Amino acid sequence: MSAPGRPAAAAPGAVPEAHKGTSLSADAWRRLKRNRAAVGGALVLLALAAACFLGPPLLDRAFDLRAAPEDADPTRAYEAPSWSEPLGRDELGRSYLVRVLEGGQTSLLVGIVATLVSVLVGVTYGAVAGYYGGRLDEVMMRVVDFLYGIPYMFLVILVLLVVGDEQRQSAVPVFAALGLVQWLTMARIVRGQVLTLRHQEFVLAARALGASDARILLQHILPNTLGVVVVYASLTVPAVIILESFLSFLGLGVENSWGQLAARGMDVVNPIRAYWWLLLYPSLFLAATLFSLNFLGDGLRDALDPRTRES
Amino acid sequence: MGGTRLPYLALGAGALLLALALALWAGVAEGLALLLGLGLLAAPAWFPARVTRGVAGVYVLALAFTALNVLVEDLDVGSGLAVAAALGVAGAAFLPPAVRRRVTFLVPSLVLLLFVTCVLMFQAPGNPFASEKQTTQQAQQAQQRRFKVRDTAVAYFGDYLHDLVFKGTMGPAVKVQGRNVEDLLRPALPVSMSLGLLALLLATLLGLVLGIRAGLRPGSVSDFSSMALGMVGISLPNFVIGAGFLLVLALGLGWFPVAGWGGYQHLVLPALTLALPYAAYIARLARNGTIEVMQQDFVRTARAKGLTEREVVLKHALKGILLPVVSFLGPAAAGVFTGSFVVETLFGVPGMGRWFVNGALNRDYAVVLGCAIIYCTLITVFNLLVDLAYAWLDPRVRNAA
Amino acid sequence: MARNLLGIGGVFAVALLLVGLTFSTTQEAPADFRFIAGAEPKTLDPHLMTGQVEGRYADALFEGLTYRDPETLEPRPGVARSWEISPDKKLYVFHLRPEARWDDGTPITAHDFAWSWRRLQAPELGSEYAYILHVVRGAEAFNAYAGHADLLESTVLPGLKALRADHPGGIPAPAWQRYVAKAHLNDAVKGTTDAPIQAALALKQGVLADPALGALEAALSAEAARRRAAAAHARVHFGVDEGIYARDDHTLVVELIAPTPYFLELTAFYTSFPVPRHLVEHPAHRDDWFLPEKIVGNGPFRLAAWRVNEKMRLVRSPTYWNRDAIALDVIDAFPVENSSAALNLYLTGAVDWNTNPPPLAIVDALRARYPGEYVLNPSMTVYYYRFNCTRKPFDDPRVRRAIALAVDRETIVRHVLRKGDTPAQHIVPYGLPGYEPPPSPLGLKVEEARALLAEAGYPGGRGFPEVKLLYNTLEQHKLIAETVAGDLKRHLGLTVVPFNQEWQAYQATTLAGEYDMARAGWIGDYADPNTFLDLWITNGGNNQTGWSNAAYDRLLWFAADPDRFLAEADAWLGRLAEPERARARIAAVSAAPDPAAQVEAKAALRMHLLREAEALLVTEVPVLPVYFYVNQNLVKPHVKGWHPNPQDIHPLRGLFVQRPEGP
Repeated sequence: MSAPGRPAAAAPGAVPEAHKGTSLSADAWRRLKRNRAAVGGALVLLALAAACFLGPPLLDRAFDLRAAPEDADPTRAYEAPSWSEPLGRDELGRSYLVRVLEGGQTSLLVGIVATLVSVLVGVTYGAVAGYYGGRLDEVMMRVVDFLYGIPYMFLVILVLLVVGDEQRQSAVPVFAALGLVQWLTMARIVRGQVLTLRHQEFVLAARALGASDARILLQHILPNTLGVVVVYASLTVPAVIILESFLSFLGLGVENSWGQLAARGMDVVNPIRAYWWLLLYPSLFLAATLFSLNFLGDGLRDALDPRTRES
Repeated sequence: MGGTRLPYLALGAGALLLALALALWAGVAEGLALLLGLGLLAAPAWFPARVTRGVAGVYVLALAFTALNVLVEDLDVGSGLAVAAALGVAGAAFLPPAVRRRVTFLVPSLVLLLFVTCVLMFQAPGNPFASEKQTTQQAQQAQQRRFKVRDTAVAYFGDYLHDLVFKGTMGPAVKVQGRNVEDLLRPALPVSMSLGLLALLLATLLGLVLGIRAGLRPGSVSDFSSMALGMVGISLPNFVIGAGFLLVLALGLGWFPVAGWGGYQHLVLPALTLALPYAAYIARLARNGTIEVMQQDFVRTARAKGLTEREVVLKHALKGILLPVVSFLGPAAAGVFTGSFVVETLFGVPGMGRWFVNGALNRDYAVVLGCAIIYCTLITVFNLLVDLAYAWLDPRVRNAA
Repeated sequence: MARNLLGIGGVFAVALLLVGLTFSTTQEAPADFRFIAGAEPKTLDPHLMTGQVEGRYADALFEGLTYRDPETLEPRPGVARSWEISPDKKLYVFHLRPEARWDDGTPITAHDFAWSWRRLQAPELGSEYAYILHVVRGAEAFNAYAGHADLLESTVLPGLKALRADHPGGIPAPAWQRYVAKAHLNDAVKGTTDAPIQAALALKQGVLADPALGALEAALSAEAARRRAAAAHARVHFGVDEGIYARDDHTLVVELIAPTPYFLELTAFYTSFPVPRHLVEHPAHRDDWFLPEKIVGNGPFRLAAWRVNEKMRLVRSPTYWNRDAIALDVIDAFPVENSSAALNLYLTGAVDWNTNPPPLAIVDALRARYPGEYVLNPSMTVYYYRFNCTRKPFDDPRVRRAIALAVDRETIVRHVLRKGDTPAQHIVPYGLPGYEPPPSPLGLKVEEARALLAEAGYPGGRGFPEVKLLYNTLEQHKLIAETVAGDLKRHLGLTVVPFNQEWQAYQATTLAGEYDMARAGWIGDYADPNTFLDLWITNGGNNQTGWSNAAYDRLLWFAADPDRFLAEADAWLGRLAEPERARARIAAVSAAPDPAAQVEAKAALRMHLLREAEALLVTEVPVLPVYFYVNQNLVKPHVKGWHPNPQDIHPLRGLFVQRPEGP
């Protein structure tokens, strides 16, 4: 896939060194607010999410725009955008605006859920490996390296083929499969952080006070990795959304996502020039979302990682 | 650290659970084989240096023997073994530690990957011979024999590995018959490699130019415009980007053919489409690198000497900017080589990506395994190259090694 | 650092050169004719191929006893110069052209054909289409009987013993039928005339107990022994002195088990083509003799290159006996599967013929803009949904019928597909010679549908479970499924959830019967209703609905030989939907003045029996017919000799290119 799913993967330069208190501090918050691109991204994202989740019921009530199965009216298929139907109608005469918004629900959910899975797995794994170090770390990182050596698309496709029948309608396997290949980088980053944090004074102090390993990890170390986790997670969401769109291109994606709408819009790529809105609008929404997410992610990194802070 | 036994136990229990789950799901033999594979992968952590050296030698031997078998027709086993053994000894003795480390990792990875792939393919519904019309059991069995498809994943995996190592063949393909998988992939590999390399180079050049331009004046209009331009690359699935290129450059202006393979003109759009997302990432890395480097003392000194901005960047700063970019090239290469199937489908390029995807969708087991071997090896080799390039660029790493 | 940049430039140059190495096509001469061939062919061995894509290459590279006329598809003398048919239509004597050659110069003799048909039927080869020539005496015995005997002895009988042990009081019919399906018993005793076996296979109710069970076991053992003996006999004689054999180098004799009106057409079908024995038997070439560097054919073209996923090149054969009648010298076939890419290649003039259906979204634009080039014509293919008749609620025929009455096929065809397909209210496509489909009750009748549903216990859809509508991943299937789901929600208040699986998973699911409703399609093998109606016999391999109807099975059995029906006509007439028509046809048989007229009258009776079977199908509705396909082709105006036909077969040998004269 061409979406590099692991942007900061092997880039040690991109992994901020640990600084005590590198969390979402007031300082970072202020820096974030000063970053116009990031703030803009966040606002656009909020607007998009609100539109996707609140839009369809509102449009239904206020303008009679619907896209449920029983609303299909093939006699009005492919109607061009107009005042009453701002994004035109789809192949079965349903409101394309509603369909695109509903597609947004799916795509955003895919992105968020898969990212949560990857955060959960990656942070736990990385923290354990980094905290205990030594041979345990080596073995655990070997497993990560092994999984890295597998083209992730390969793994995703194979997993989808195995689980991919009825459950795929609920999209859970796609979320899980996408999350399961995205946790590797998270694990590496967190491990790196924990490796440096575990010898810091406040950790040693806690240990001297007789705190258990679990307590030290949960209360003292993990909060300090939060910044990095947030930054990387914010970059994972767009990566997952785009990955899902490739699966849609192959017919293995989630029903009714932006990726699927755009992939089906590919039908219009020909000199006949018809029904351009089928490709354009889902792509625009997708691009706007990813654009905002990336700007926000960059902004978060700039805010949370002092190394790239502008002076 | 106190109480370290607990996490080991947890890890072991995890592996056991995983194997148990697999045993329940697929079969006892599969579960045991997974345990063995994980053990093979984990064991080197306990090896003393001398053993590692020996193991690396054995692995080099196995790799060399297999490669010889694949490359040389009708290889005599004795001489093949002799050459491979010599290479193995030489490898154990002379290979630099970095390479040795990658090799000791590559072999168990490959074996485990092949095994996992076999299990997944066999667990996926369907089979290579399924056809729309019902065929008789007899015809199905005859086909299974001809294409050496056994009934269980473990049996198939055993046969496959044996044939690969001792006969040097990746087995017959089912969907395009008459050729072995290595013969089918042989013409596809250079296509994908060259397309990928070209895309990678385009991505690097484009990314560096955009990124450095942005990083020299962070916060300026040129920063914002460069990054926004780069952002387009990661904000659209590349089938949409490719569609855009097709619509405008091929169908609209007629500058390039819409699909096919056979001349440099066929190369431009796929390479560009493939390159864009990576260019965007590289631009981001280069921008951050530039901002950082430009604040360092030696750059200030160079500026103070009165050098122009261009000279400062080219002569002094570039190395520092390149470091993170180079380390990104490993994963990027993996992504470009393995992820080209969308572009291949869109532009009708006869590369590897289509083999893998169609192989998986058709349950053409041997094709999928062949792609797994090539992808895994490519990624390892690229990571190795990146390690070496990194060491060459960064004196700290070089001295440490 | 500038050095580094130079280095990068160097790598760039090397990469470009590498790319150049893969452009092997640049030195090739341009082709006269280029077309999109769809998928990559699985094989070029005519005995192992099964699809239309492969068949097109086989017709170009090989030639059978006859070949299909490019315009009418009638068999024309190919390798066989002439032939005689015996009065009972069971013996064919072919006279081969002495000048026919393999393209390596070896003459083609009658021995080649005998050997080739023997190879085709050899069980070791495992040809999927070998059954097409099972009308030849001894072919089926040689091909399948040993396998049947193995299956009976090693699987069926031991399984039956175990089943018997599980049910000491006799095996209940449902358990028995499950076992029949699992053990592929229908396959293993295909064509048996043994009464205990037939009775057991037809058992739907009660229990199977001694003495019938003992008799069945004995009969199965005897059947196995019989088949093994027949197989052993055929192995010695088939293709040597029985079924098909050479009387001399240029005279070939074929014996059939029954008169087969379409036998000559079969001799133009790729499964019956000869293969070069001197190459195919060589152990080093057995599995790959059809690769371009090795292949030896006898057709109008030779295979010059086969670059997988890139292109296939055919050139006119200099040794073909009728080479002067072939117009095209060089043909390039591109294996492009992506419909947009194929369309763009066609519209930009890179190919002359596109066999891929264009994207559905633009079919109306294409029809409007390229009326002469976008050729649409009715195909012998039906699109339908299977109901899983073993599951609630679809085990109730009223539910199935209610659903079939609530689907608006007209809208699907006119507004969703928009390419001129025909709405289907029955299963057999229109236009099959001699066949007139029965009146069908399956239109859009919402009131009737609601009444039926209420009668079945789901008034207004209340209490009806949520059901899933399975289709394999493809845009047009999705759109149709969504439309149908919408119709059923609107008209009947049912919640039907369309869901897709990729092809392999979809096949596994339907085969295992793990669905509620599932999409399917069927392309007729030959122009006869039987190729469609045969699907739904009890436990038929392609039935997959679990539907089973004894009368239906019996009607098809009658149709295979109308004399069977004539023997039982009196008992059956009362059970037919249209007894008057049947009576008239029976009268016509007895009134026939001469044997030829009688054959004709029996054919008409046979067609009526098939019509009766289809009438059962549209009453019981195990499947919901949706529409009959059209074939879609895009053909440039300068391509001549291209003729639309229902089978969508356009032999390359008949094509030529005639560009308008320049000014």
